[in-house]
Amino acid sequence: MKSIWKNYKTDIAYDELMYSEFQSRPVSHSLCQYLNSLKKEDIDKRKIAAELAIMEMGISFTVYSDEGNIDRAWPFDIIPRIIDAREWRIIEKGLKQRLTALNCFISDVYSEQAFIKAGKMPGEIINSSKNFRKECIGMKPRHNVWANICGTDLVRDKDGIMYVLEDNLRVPSGVSYMLENRVITKRVFPELLQDIDIEPIDDYPTHLHDMLSSIAPHQNGQVTCVVLTPGIYNSAYFEHAYLAQQIGAQLVEGKDLVVNDDDCVYMRTIDGLEKVDVIYRRIDDDFLDPEVFRKDSTLGVRGLMRAWKACNVALANAPGAGVADDKVVYAYVPEMIRYYLNEEPILPNVPTYLCSNKEDLDYVLKHLAELVVKPANESGGYGMLVGPHATAKEVENFRKIIQEDPRNYIAQPTLSISTAPTLCRGKLEPRHIDLRPFILQGEKTFVTAGGLTRVALRKGSLVVNSSQGGGSKDTWIINMEGS
Amino acid sequence: MLSRSAERLYWLARYLERTENIARLVSVHMNLLMDLPRGVEMGWRQLIRINTSEQEFYEKNNVANERNITRFLLADVSYSGSLFSSLIAARENIRTSRELLPDEAWEQVNEMYLFVKNNLETVVNRRHRVLFLNEILKGCQRFTGLLSGYMSHNHPYRFIRLGRNIERADMTSRILDLASLLLSESRSDEMRQYETILWMNILKSLNALLMYRQQMRSRVKGDDVLNFLLLDTNLPRSVSCCIAEMFFCISKLPNNDELLLKLIELESYVQAIDTRQTTQQQLRIILDGLQNKLGGLHGLIADNWFLRTAEE
Repeated sequence: MKSIWKNYKTDIAYDELMYSEFQSRPVSHSLCQYLNSLKKEDIDKRKIAAELAIMEMGISFTVYSDEGNIDRAWPFDIIPRIIDAREWRIIEKGLKQRLTALNCFISDVYSEQAFIKAGKMPGEIINSSKNFRKECIGMKPRHNVWANICGTDLVRDKDGIMYVLEDNLRVPSGVSYMLENRVITKRVFPELLQDIDIEPIDDYPTHLHDMLSSIAPHQNGQVTCVVLTPGIYNSAYFEHAYLAQQIGAQLVEGKDLVVNDDDCVYMRTIDGLEKVDVIYRRIDDDFLDPEVFRKDSTLGVRGLMRAWKACNVALANAPGAGVADDKVVYAYVPEMIRYYLNEEPILPNVPTYLCSNKEDLDYVLKHLAELVVKPANESGGYGMLVGPHATAKEVENFRKIIQEDPRNYIAQPTLSISTAPTLCRGKLEPRHIDLRPFILQGEKTFVTAGGLTRVALRKGSLVVNSSQGGGSKDTWIINMEGS
Repeated sequence: MLSRSAERLYWLARYLERTENIARLVSVHMNLLMDLPRGVEMGWRQLIRINTSEQEFYEKNNVANERNITRFLLADVSYSGSLFSSLIAARENIRTSRELLPDEAWEQVNEMYLFVKNNLETVVNRRHRVLFLNEILKGCQRFTGLLSGYMSHNHPYRFIRLGRNIERADMTSRILDLASLLLSESRSDEMRQYETILWMNILKSLNALLMYRQQMRSRVKGDDVLNFLLLDTNLPRSVSCCIAEMFFCISKLPNNDELLLKLIELESYVQAIDTRQTTQQQLRIILDGLQNKLGGLHGLIADNWFLRTAEE
């Protein structure tokens, strides 16, 4: 193979595309052949073309900094990540199974709490969860589904097995980037896409629209859906606008909506007030309704919870769904699958130590330097400790933090998460990646073909979050049969 | 349609129209100055007079020369009336209304923005400035064209058209204001000598020279030009035509009674202007009145359709 692969290392971790510098996996065979047929300058040109397309399409995300908010171009690596469709069918099944069980669990938590009564989980975990909302007790969202949109993070360890790292059930983001990544790949490698049988992903907005319609409180006539955004200063604003456009919904901010005395939600239009049936909200529970949650919220809508509880409007995801998006609760998901569905989990969890358990805590404190420690309720990769990469001082700091609030911390072994070839200064180098597929559940359940592959662009880094130096790749599910 | 979206699209159109107007104004003016001998009163300063921004200009610059004025009008982000500021505002408005417009519309504005941002320094150089301004003019026209061809002519489209035409009427009245200065009795003999060129220049700055010739079939004369730009019902940038466009849009929008009455009043005001009977001084007062009425119209549009945040 030619120079772009020179010294490509596959001994760091499981590599998604390569066995070695000289040998590609069957799934990536066509891609590698194609890349090898290009001159080095050609590859550079494609990279520049991709960057240009991203600038012109205005695909951006917002970074908060001391100098104000900056709109940054979306960092994209042109080399796709590839998964065999046969493997994907199993993952897909596992994801559906998992979300179904999680929704059973959330329904249960806000009604009988049978899972807890059966001794499967200490009730204390729920009572002490920041995301358990007492206001939701007794609610029955349509189809008994609370988390309608879920972004599950998957990682592959050195054993080649895909593990579930976390379930994002609050306001998972990234799906627009998944869709745009494919658009860019089509622009940059049009020849390649013609010859390989890649599963399409652009039906996501249609499924999102169908799902949102299926949860409307009234099933007669046209359903009015809106996307509720915190506004242009939110880091995911691009995505909110993109999704609204794709599903033909209005993009609204809190001040565009009003709840009247009839406990219905209306939007302020040029014709006056117009009734809203379904709100795809991209605002955290805390800010949703100053009448019930944070009083100082200017992003939400006063009375929204009233309208929701009166079943006059559907909210996706339902308030309170975040109770299952807690890294302590995560540890119990395999048990939920067995309990509610009477099935064995298809996708394994990463082994998890709960610092609230005395035994686990002792183990964690003893092995702190080898473990990854995460706060139970944060997202975006903030506030965590990666033991093997931390200084002795950071480890000691964390020891204190954990002991002060053990309930709020979990620890997991440091996985050697898989790598994929990534273009770095004209050469391909292995970089760590994860995968976030998106699952929709309403009347039916849908899983995206693949998802958003995030890549840690810095050498050796395991942090894939775009706010912290991560980028992304197009993800191909390819059909090997007949090739 | 959301009130907030209506407001953003309206402003998007106003800012883009402004961007285009500034580009055309600078471009035409540059051509004019190449034709005039040095030393006539007509200079770069006229351009900052049109936008009534002389004061702000002198706070930042000592000399009103070509370099300073073009930089101020085109590239100065701290001056809210500059081309770049207008384009930034247009982009911000379209970025927040993407769900209503075809993708290409956003990409077009974003591309123009990136182009200007990457070429800000080139505007001081005449040759580069010509290319720069051409690119902007083409970009704005592409935007208008692709909306006209790709977008349903629905409420969102009407608000865009409304914003464009109110801004256009305002700009035309400002240019006429400047033109009326040319009628001043105190103008020098040298200036009188170049009068035809100056009036042609006014027509060009509104893309109206060709249409004027076809319509008037006579040499370019001050009175005729003023009449044409105020009252012609077919020229897209004449004040009357802008009012007619606004009337058409507003008549299809909800709750429009008061606004239609206001427009009828505005139209009669314009129709009653007799450029042959007025002195330069009177004309300036009339045009001032027109600008005030356009401001009033804007206020009424905002009250009627846009989001009033003070409500809660």
